[in-house]
Amino acid sequence: MKIRGLFLLRRYPIPALIFLLLLIALSLMSMRARQQKGIAFFDAFLMEIGSPFQRASTFAIQTVQRTFDRYLFLIHLQRENEILKQRIAELQKENHLKEEAFLANERLRNLLQFREKVPTSMIAAEVIGQDPSFWFRSVTINKGERDGIRKGMAVIAPEGVVGQILKVAPHYATILLVTDYNSAIDSIVQKTRARAIVEGKGENRCQLKYLLRTEEVNVGDVIMTSGLGGNFPKGLLIGEILKVEKGGHGIFQFAELVPSVDLTKLEEVLVITESPVLSTEEKVKKPKKSPGGGPKGK
Amino acid sequence: MKRIVFFVFLGVVVLTLQTALLRFFPIQRLRPDFMLIFTLYLGFSSPPILGAILAFFMGYFVDLFSGNTFGLYTFSRPILFYGAYLFKSKFYMEGFLSHFIFVFLAAFLDGALILMFITLLSPEPLLGFYPSFLLSLFPQSIVTALITPLLFALFEKGSILFAKKNGASVQERG
Repeated sequence: MKIRGLFLLRRYPIPALIFLLLLIALSLMSMRARQQKGIAFFDAFLMEIGSPFQRASTFAIQTVQRTFDRYLFLIHLQRENEILKQRIAELQKENHLKEEAFLANERLRNLLQFREKVPTSMIAAEVIGQDPSFWFRSVTINKGERDGIRKGMAVIAPEGVVGQILKVAPHYATILLVTDYNSAIDSIVQKTRARAIVEGKGENRCQLKYLLRTEEVNVGDVIMTSGLGGNFPKGLLIGEILKVEKGGHGIFQFAELVPSVDLTKLEEVLVITESPVLSTEEKVKKPKKSPGGGPKGK
Repeated sequence: MKRIVFFVFLGVVVLTLQTALLRFFPIQRLRPDFMLIFTLYLGFSSPPILGAILAFFMGYFVDLFSGNTFGLYTFSRPILFYGAYLFKSKFYMEGFLSHFIFVFLAAFLDGALILMFITLLSPEPLLGFYPSFLLSLFPQSIVTALITPLLFALFEKGSILFAKKNGASVQERG
C-alpha cells in the first residue's frame, strides 16, 4: 500500500501536491476554529511581513491624491468656502444650544451620581489597507500588540462605531468592520430604548436583529451601543434606520441600518484600550440569546 | 531561482495593489479581484509546483488581511490554480474572450466555494448575508473578468522583460 502510494506521488506529483495543500488548509481551518496559539503566532509573523508594503503604498497613493486635491481642484474652492462659512454659522448656533444641554446634563448626572462611562484611554491609528477579499469587511491599521492593542477592543471614529479588533500582530492589527457579516453589537434604539443586535450585512449596511415586534421603530431612528456587550461603551452612535420590516408573523421585526461612519473612506480610527466598567445591574440584564458584541461564532 | 523571485515579487505587488490601491477605487461595491487573476495566471504560466505553493500562500495572505477568520481562501485558491493548470493543456486559452470567460467562471466558482464554506461553518443561518452575496456575485465576477486581459498582458510583459534582462546578464557573464 505504501509503495503504491509512493508510485502515485511520482506518477501524479501536481495532484498530489494540491491534495497535500488542501489537507494543510483544512488543518489550518481546524486550528483556527480551536483558536490554537501556534497559528496565531504564524499569522502575526506573516502579517508583519506583508503590512509594510501596504503601509508604503497607501502613503504613496494618499500623497498623490492629496496633491490632486490641493492643486487641481482649487476651482471649486471659492464656492465651497462660502458654503462652509454658512455651515460654520449654523453649527456655532447649534453648538451653543448643545453646550447648554450638555451643562444641564452634567449637573443632573452629578446629582444622580451616575458612573462615568466614557472610555479613558484611546489609541489613534491609521488605516493602511483594506480587506483583499470582496465578501468580507475589514481594514488593517498601523498599530498592534506593542502599542497596547488586543483582540476584541472596540474601534471608533468621530462619527461613531467602526468595529472591533479581530487579529493582532506586534505592529499591525485587523479590524472587523460593523458591516461584516461576522460582526454583532449589542445596541439600543435611542428614542425608544428598545434592545436589539446590530449585525453586519456586507456592503455598507447592517441589520437590526432580535428587535421585538411590539417596539415602535421608524425610519431615521438613531441606534446606539447599549454597553452590555462588554467591548463597546454605552452611547456610541452606530447608525440610522433605513428600512423597517415587520413581516407577517413572528415575535421579532427586522430593520436595515446605515452605519454613521462611511467605512469606504476610513483613514484614521481610535481604538478604545480601556473599556468602561459596567455596572453589575446592567450585566444581569444581558439577554441569553444575544451574541453580545463580539465576532459571531468565535 | 530567478523565475521564483519574479513570481514572488509579482505576488507582493498584486497583494499590495489589492489591499492599498483598491481602497481608492471609485465603485466600492464592486472591486476586481487581482489576487484571483494572479492565481489563475500562475496556473497558466508558472512552473506547476511553484505555482501551487504560491497560490496557497496568496490565499493565506487574503485570509490574513480579511475579516474571514477560518482561512477559506487558503483552501479555495489551490483548487482554482489546479483548474487553470488543467485548462491550459486542454483548451485554447489565448485572446480576450477565452480569458474573460475562464476568469468569469473561476470568480463565480470561487464565490460559490466561499458561500458553501460560510454556510457550513456558521453556527446559525446567515439570512441577511445571502441576498447581498448572491446579488453581488454575478457583477463582481464580471468586473474581475473584464480587467483580466489587461492584467494578463501586464504580467506577460513583465515576464518577457524579466526574461530578457536575465538573458542579457547571462550573456554578459559569458
